[in-house]
Amino acid sequence: MKNKVLALLLCLGMTVSLTACGGDAGSDESTAGGQDSSEAAGEAGEEATESAGSDDFAGEELSIIVSADWMNDYYDETISRFEDTYSVTVDLQTIPADQYSDILQSKLETGTCTDVFWIQSNPFAIASVIGNPEEYCLDFTGEAWEGIMPEARLSSCKYEDKLYGLQIWHNSPEYVMVYNKSLFEELNLTVPKTYAELKSVCEKIYAEGITPWFMPGADGWQHQLAFFQIGGVYEETDPGLYEALNNNTAVFAGNEKMLEVLGQFKELSDAGYFGEDWIGTDSSNMANEFGDRTCAMAMANSSYVKQIKDETGSEDEFGMFLIPLGDNDTFPTNPAGPTMFGYAGTEHPELVREWFRFVTTTESLQEILDNSGKYTNLDVTDENLEQHWLPEEEEFMNTVDKSKMLTPVLQTGTKYTNDYWMDFGADLIAYCQGTMDADTVLANMDANRAAGAATAGDEAWQ
Amino acid sequence: MNVNKKKIYPQWFIVLPLVIYVLFFLLPSILGVGYSFTDWSSKSAKTGIHFVGLKNYIDIFTSNKNYVQGILHTLMFTVVSNIIKLIPALFLAILLNESIKCRGLYRTLFYLPSILPFVIIGLIFKSILNYNNGLLNAALEFLHLGFLKQKWLSDLGVVWKSIFAVDAWRGVGYVMTIFIAGLSAIPSSYYEAASIDGANFWQKLRMITLPMLKGSIMINLVFGITYGLKVFDIIYVLTNGGPGHATEVLTTYSFQLYSTGQYGMSTAMNTVLLIITAIIGVGVVKMMSRQEG
Repeated sequence: MKNKVLALLLCLGMTVSLTACGGDAGSDESTAGGQDSSEAAGEAGEEATESAGSDDFAGEELSIIVSADWMNDYYDETISRFEDTYSVTVDLQTIPADQYSDILQSKLETGTCTDVFWIQSNPFAIASVIGNPEEYCLDFTGEAWEGIMPEARLSSCKYEDKLYGLQIWHNSPEYVMVYNKSLFEELNLTVPKTYAELKSVCEKIYAEGITPWFMPGADGWQHQLAFFQIGGVYEETDPGLYEALNNNTAVFAGNEKMLEVLGQFKELSDAGYFGEDWIGTDSSNMANEFGDRTCAMAMANSSYVKQIKDETGSEDEFGMFLIPLGDNDTFPTNPAGPTMFGYAGTEHPELVREWFRFVTTTESLQEILDNSGKYTNLDVTDENLEQHWLPEEEEFMNTVDKSKMLTPVLQTGTKYTNDYWMDFGADLIAYCQGTMDADTVLANMDANRAAGAATAGDEAWQ
Repeated sequence: MNVNKKKIYPQWFIVLPLVIYVLFFLLPSILGVGYSFTDWSSKSAKTGIHFVGLKNYIDIFTSNKNYVQGILHTLMFTVVSNIIKLIPALFLAILLNESIKCRGLYRTLFYLPSILPFVIIGLIFKSILNYNNGLLNAALEFLHLGFLKQKWLSDLGVVWKSIFAVDAWRGVGYVMTIFIAGLSAIPSSYYEAASIDGANFWQKLRMITLPMLKGSIMINLVFGITYGLKVFDIIYVLTNGGPGHATEVLTTYSFQLYSTGQYGMSTAMNTVLLIITAIIGVGVVKMMSRQEG
């Protein structure tokens, strides 16, 4: 009898809970539906009318897989608006950075990829990371949003003249020389534009007991930026060098400009201009060194100026100039960046296309920029977009001729170079310590690139 | 008399551990050796794995990267780290085997570093050994011994010494503990008899302690050699093979190869390590069996 009563009670309980769930769901749906229709009506702006009808996708789900830090919360508003506009849901799967590449590869190879996926792209990444874009990527050739990307970024989104990716990334100066402008003024120093001028500036700063150029060698990945960020000057000296390096008809070894730059780097190191123990110093104290004026210059991003002021309370003014090794006057354009692709095997190809159109509208771009916080600009051609350049960035960008911004940095402009970044850094230190000569540093890079090409099965190296 | 019947455990008890050992240790090791003869790489999922014969091994000994120096560094580390740990540990063990005050506390203090993770040790010592604002150089300055200041982790002439010092700091207590266990098994009557005969400390050490400690010495030696040959953590956390390539060892090279997707080469490096370990291991085992015999 007891069992029968218990069973009856359980049945009743289940019935009640199911009814409750049904009621909730119904009310939710009706509320959501109400919101959708009213908001869609309210936001029936120009963008919405350009694309497919907002009801065409009702109830569908758009899945996106992305590595941590590539979308963060600054896409949230746009995603939310997309969901409301089209009555769809977006399933955003954010994966820890160290696991992302493996997970994406396995999803692509097993045919279980999300509708939209991201990779850290560069001009060679579609071939090297995705492998066969025709099999894995939606072809967006002919889409109007191609025009919002500058030419340099398009190279990271196209493969064999077909458009596959969308790269929305900032173009703040990365790893240029950040310097203490107030200190320079007090010492009557002007911004160096050539190596000779740099050496002279360093000499004067060094005489004041200040480290002229803070070089965090112990990080292992920063000091080699001095060599790679000035890729434009190698290309200018030897036009066609990048193409030749990518076709394996040229090598690093014996390149006179590169040897000159390495020699200059060692000269500054030997003179103590990088600090007494730059090889054993990491960057953890760099902002403080700027703040208390124990260093005058360092390679850093434009946002570092704000970091110095925030962290140290320094009232000094800071500015930027191009790395003058090898008399460089080219801007370190870097077309690499997180890039979005549509998955060819998606069940909602039209919804994916709509997402790409939606995210490239001025409204969406403005949302992404405004919500990002840490980016001052987006590298897009949309003139209606209100950028938020820092005064220091604007001042610096005005000093650089547009024609000097065309060549990408060496590490992303040439194949397999970036893969051996740390090896080159170690070789550069060995060179500065006198256990390796400059040409061996370059020859090692050639050998490493050949190994990378062999791993990738690159025909140019076979 | 049937001895087998008196055994507590039957033979089939070994089956499960043996299967686990073969499946999860022996088989992967053999597969690893097999892969060292292939071009296995991060792109193999697309391109397949192909047999390349001895190419990886030839590359190791002829490459632009000085892998041979890495192998020599590994052997040097094995020898030096054992010497600088075994000898001080033996004397510490003898000292702390005597009836001195707070003996237990000292033993604990010496043993403690060996339970610290290498990552923590790396962080602490990188900070202590920093040239500009490290504790060691600051202390030397404070004591008016500034002339002794060094670039502990970036000077080619000093960096190995720093690594050995940190390694000894971490490992001496562990070795000492094994020695103490051995010393406590030596009957005190041997020392009393030797004292009556007028033997001094060194004579007792040579004639009683060392012969009676053979077992402990062997254990420490075997542990020390295997530790030295596969050393990675302490180098990785302190110098990552630098400055330049000055402290690269076999395992740091293997790690680099693996992280650039050259899995075949990486397994070849590990196979070289396996061969070296096997040769030295066989030598040590032979020596031990000879002494037991």
